[in-house]
Amino acid sequence: MEKVCVLGAGSTKYGKLPDSIADITTQASVSAIESAGIDPKEVKASYISNVFGVADKQVHLGPVLMSRLGIPDKPSLTIESACGSGSVSFREAYANVAAGFYDCLLVTGTEKVTHTGTEWTTTYFAYCSDFFYEGQAGASFPGLFASMARAYLTEFDATEEDFARVAVKNHDNGVLNPKAHMQKKITVDDVMNSPVVASPLKLYDCCPFSDGASSVILCSEKFAKEHGGDYVQVTGSGRGGSPAALQGREHLTTIPSTKIAAEAAYNMAGITAKDVDFAEVHDCFTIAEVVDTEDLGFFEKGKGVEAVREGRTKLNSDISINPSGGLKSKGHPIGATGVGQVVEVFDQLTGNAGERTVKDAKIGLTHNFGATGASCAVHVFQSV
Amino acid sequence: MSVEEQLIEIAKQGKLLTHKCTNCGYLHLSTAYYCLKCGSKGFEDVLLEGTGSVATYTIITVAPAGFEKYTPYAFVVLNLDNSNLRISGFMEGIATPADLPVGTRAKITGFDERGIIIEKQ
Repeated sequence: MEKVCVLGAGSTKYGKLPDSIADITTQASVSAIESAGIDPKEVKASYISNVFGVADKQVHLGPVLMSRLGIPDKPSLTIESACGSGSVSFREAYANVAAGFYDCLLVTGTEKVTHTGTEWTTTYFAYCSDFFYEGQAGASFPGLFASMARAYLTEFDATEEDFARVAVKNHDNGVLNPKAHMQKKITVDDVMNSPVVASPLKLYDCCPFSDGASSVILCSEKFAKEHGGDYVQVTGSGRGGSPAALQGREHLTTIPSTKIAAEAAYNMAGITAKDVDFAEVHDCFTIAEVVDTEDLGFFEKGKGVEAVREGRTKLNSDISINPSGGLKSKGHPIGATGVGQVVEVFDQLTGNAGERTVKDAKIGLTHNFGATGASCAVHVFQSV
Repeated sequence: MSVEEQLIEIAKQGKLLTHKCTNCGYLHLSTAYYCLKCGSKGFEDVLLEGTGSVATYTIITVAPAGFEKYTPYAFVVLNLDNSNLRISGFMEGIATPADLPVGTRAKITGFDERGIIIEKQ
């Protein structure tokens, strides 16, 4: 297998964006191409992740993007895996470079939904559930994670304030990220006093609906060395699956796909959870970050809340979790999120993360899942 | 009838259609086509009473389209009696967590535009 590297990365700001999905997809791609210092004609193909292109009247995004980049003859592919689309797309691109099919690929994630409003975005997102059993019975995504949260509160020594601390921590990080959707500090009281969306989750336990696009250039080590710019190496890649509906899972407070994907990625990279300096994890809701940090092996099951309470997941503490601000503060344009996590890791490991830099970081991890973790991909990156 | 239609028709009678593997005996919801444990394809129908205890739930106040008029309502995951299975569904008339402690006895009572309907017993 070829060694695979990230040679460039870029994102639009995340938030409510006025431009079309075609426009933001292109903007992010151009910033990644410029970050890599390559000519677009060196890109051999693109992998695009998107879920609700139909909501902005544009599916089949690939040829539109490639035409705008002046490379309409190059192939493209759009991949959908709900909120995990970005990492799955990244993984497919990774596999193609590793196999030697391509030496340079453009991987772009994109989403544009905020113009549809809260009711319809909530409705579209519910289509990512096992609809026959969940969405059809009125389950929203906050509702499904709220069901996990109640199970966690019932099973372990945890409080709603503990979940609130995750939001506070991620907003503290997001304030330092100029691309973040929610750049404001909040308090535990702010979270506790925000309106209930699906009990026990309140508005500030939930990530926002965001528009945004993120893009990276993925290439062989040989290509990276020839181009001379800063790059990071992808040393581990793993995917996993879980029963689509929560009801089918052995434990309601564990996401099996995370454990499967993490084990595969750690094994490939030859590391354990203890070696990870920082992680961008899928904190679509505060409860999710707690569960993720346990399933990824950073903390024992049931102890994730204690780590948050003790500040062990803050920036430059035991392990920096979501230095970018995470989905909660940076925002969650669902097709872009998994690629945006790679952008953060690239910025961190190449010394471009500014005030939110994780000091002396050598190994970063991305963890991104679809729906309630029915699909998941984990990647490990190392500085070179 | 499709597997979903069969499950719906039985749910309307307040029961749950399940599939028992004829090879290893493992019980599944009736939308399973292959056994989770042994991979075999043969199933026999088993009707459950649809009773159980609440494993977890949420009370939804911000609803997807079509459900606004029912808020607040609960989305419930039920541990089914005498089985390894859970089923989820819609429960109306739940306003606060005090209305539905985890472990509350409940039962499937029907199926309509709100999916599988579950009521407290």
